[in-house]
Amino acid sequence: MPILPVEAYTSQEWFDKEQEIIFGNSWQYAGLMEDIQDPGDYITVQCGHQNIVIVKGRDQKLRAFHNLCRHRGTQLLRAVGKKQKALTCPYHDWTYNLSGELISVPEKEKEFPDLELDKICLHKASVDIWRGMLWVHPKPNAEPITEWFKGCREQMGPHDPTRLIEYPDSSYEKVINANWKIVAENFMDVYHLAHLHSNTLQMYDHANAKFGFIGDHYMFWEPHVPKYKDNLDQLMPFKRIKEMTDEYLGAFVPWLFPNFGLSETESSWSTFHAIPLGPDKTKVVVRTKLEPMTNWEYQKQSMKSYNSWHGIMGSDTKYGNQDPDDPMATGDFMAEDVYACEQQQKSLKNPLFNVTMTAKYGESTIRTFQGIIKKWMEQ
Amino acid sequence: MFHKLKISNLRQPIADATTVTFDVPNRLYDAFNYYPGQHLIIKFQVNGKEARRSYSLNSSPFRDEPLEITVKKVKGGLVSNYVNGQLKIGDELEVMVPQGRFYADIKKEEYKTYYLFAAGSGITPILSILKSVLYEAVESRIHLLYGNTHQDSIIFKEELDALEQAFPNRLQVVHTLSNPKVWSTWEQWKGRKGRIDEAAVEWFINQHPPIAQTTSYFICGPGAMNTGIRKALMGLDVPRELIHIEQFGGTKADDNHTIDSVDNASLEVHINGQTHSLKIPKGKTILQVMKDANTQAPYSCESGVCGTCACTLVSGTVEMKSNMALEDKDLKKGLILSCQSLATSESIVIRF
Repeated sequence: MPILPVEAYTSQEWFDKEQEIIFGNSWQYAGLMEDIQDPGDYITVQCGHQNIVIVKGRDQKLRAFHNLCRHRGTQLLRAVGKKQKALTCPYHDWTYNLSGELISVPEKEKEFPDLELDKICLHKASVDIWRGMLWVHPKPNAEPITEWFKGCREQMGPHDPTRLIEYPDSSYEKVINANWKIVAENFMDVYHLAHLHSNTLQMYDHANAKFGFIGDHYMFWEPHVPKYKDNLDQLMPFKRIKEMTDEYLGAFVPWLFPNFGLSETESSWSTFHAIPLGPDKTKVVVRTKLEPMTNWEYQKQSMKSYNSWHGIMGSDTKYGNQDPDDPMATGDFMAEDVYACEQQQKSLKNPLFNVTMTAKYGESTIRTFQGIIKKWMEQ
Repeated sequence: MFHKLKISNLRQPIADATTVTFDVPNRLYDAFNYYPGQHLIIKFQVNGKEARRSYSLNSSPFRDEPLEITVKKVKGGLVSNYVNGQLKIGDELEVMVPQGRFYADIKKEEYKTYYLFAAGSGITPILSILKSVLYEAVESRIHLLYGNTHQDSIIFKEELDALEQAFPNRLQVVHTLSNPKVWSTWEQWKGRKGRIDEAAVEWFINQHPPIAQTTSYFICGPGAMNTGIRKALMGLDVPRELIHIEQFGGTKADDNHTIDSVDNASLEVHINGQTHSLKIPKGKTILQVMKDANTQAPYSCESGVCGTCACTLVSGTVEMKSNMALEDKDLKKGLILSCQSLATSESIVIRF
């Protein structure tokens, strides 16, 4: 039986409560460390109900603040910025330094004679860098990020993302009409891999996948099928990642609580950020990094992979001969997942909706995940 | 209180310095536990005279290693020349338990970036902090900027090289030489040149942005360098409370600074409910005058380090030869170290 009620996936009330309890109290992915390069650069990120700005100081340190002016609570900064000397609210030009301290207020003598500037600071949040990624926590004194992910590093890919290069145009953004937990559950559903993706992820030996939870985080690894492994140099789409030596071969696909997945393979490293927008809306942002290589190397390897694939793996898409606009015919496992998630969400409103049973092994992960959500919501 | 400790080993990390290893008996193990960065106050008997000095421990309390200090030879230095030449393995020295407010409170589970700055023998407490972080706080990282005169004056060069190799992702050391020798080594010095001044600090921070975003800054060197580094860091918006400073080579006398003290100033001491009226001959410290007069003055290290002899200056002015115990906020409250204070006004009133 499902652990969470249907409302957990459909009601605004549940959604708001989750935003407050889970997203207001956990470390969340905010981007890649190279997104903020120089002092004065900033990005903004949504953590539940709270928008947070991360800015690099002149001491090269990142600082995170809640993105609202202390004057009347207006959102202080928009999206991203470069090389700011200070942070100025567009409404009345109240200005803060890069440490979040209020440094100037227009017409102060006349309008705010009693205001002591040095007593006012933007509300602080926490920020850190872990495995080359930016992480934020809405609370100022969050536990160390290394404690939050304690025990996870060893179960994840050996990749050093700081060394890898984000390939131009590799990023993917899509709003999925499904609750963020449906997206997460799909990511963790081991049972579906051999079925929904029978012709897209067939290079993996799903039967020999190893998975489980460390704290609230889901860890997953599966080996290649022999056919793929034996022809790896021919088939892998990009240059082999240096750290992915033979002992690691396969794919590491963890889900870091609450809303972030990774796909770490022999030749690519991708982030999968599921941003809840509403009870039935989730934005997914995927970014991919590769081993540094020249354009020529890139083209050579992808050609080789493309040309060898059919001969060795012998695949067609699942519903190959149908409409080319059918997501199930694209040959793209992401499109297959999006399709499944949206169909799942739609059915939740059907009065006949019911879960008969969930798989003993392959869907145990979904039960565990729901249990974790329940634990958070009830605490 | 001083404890007699036997010297179990002496070695020379460079020609002009000696590392002294102490044998701490089991019964004193707990008492001699310490935080990385702290120092020992040691009583020496040199040519029949007693001299007290404080030396930072370069050993790490998180390693299974004995207590060690390192003393660099100073031209004309009484104790430093004694240690570098006369001291022998098996000798006993009187040593006070480790103390000092300059230390790193390292937690196993922390995720921090340490910026360390050292010049010359200022490396000793810095090395202790560095090793402790590497071995205890396994997620934390370190950037060290280490200044010396030339290639042959870099204390612990080999040890730092080895640590850098053993922890390539967690330790980065940058050496800078103010006056590199051209002929001293096979290869010409290709590293950074110059002193650790404000420009060097800014360059160093910009070259080494932190991964772990909780940061600490530890500085140990001569006074002018320390203030310069602090100024540079604060200029980059580093909060003052994250900057920890230890001055070595202590006394201003070493910097050829002489204090123009008043002769025969009057001293009024309020202590233990009693009042004493004394005179301070030129060049004598307040503590010396009180000891000569048998007033029960509290004191311990007599080198401006421990703070035991601190008192409040009620009126008059003094100048301290050295001060490693009192911080700015203490000074603002009017605290002085009686063991270091020379009178610079005709009339002085103090209260313990």
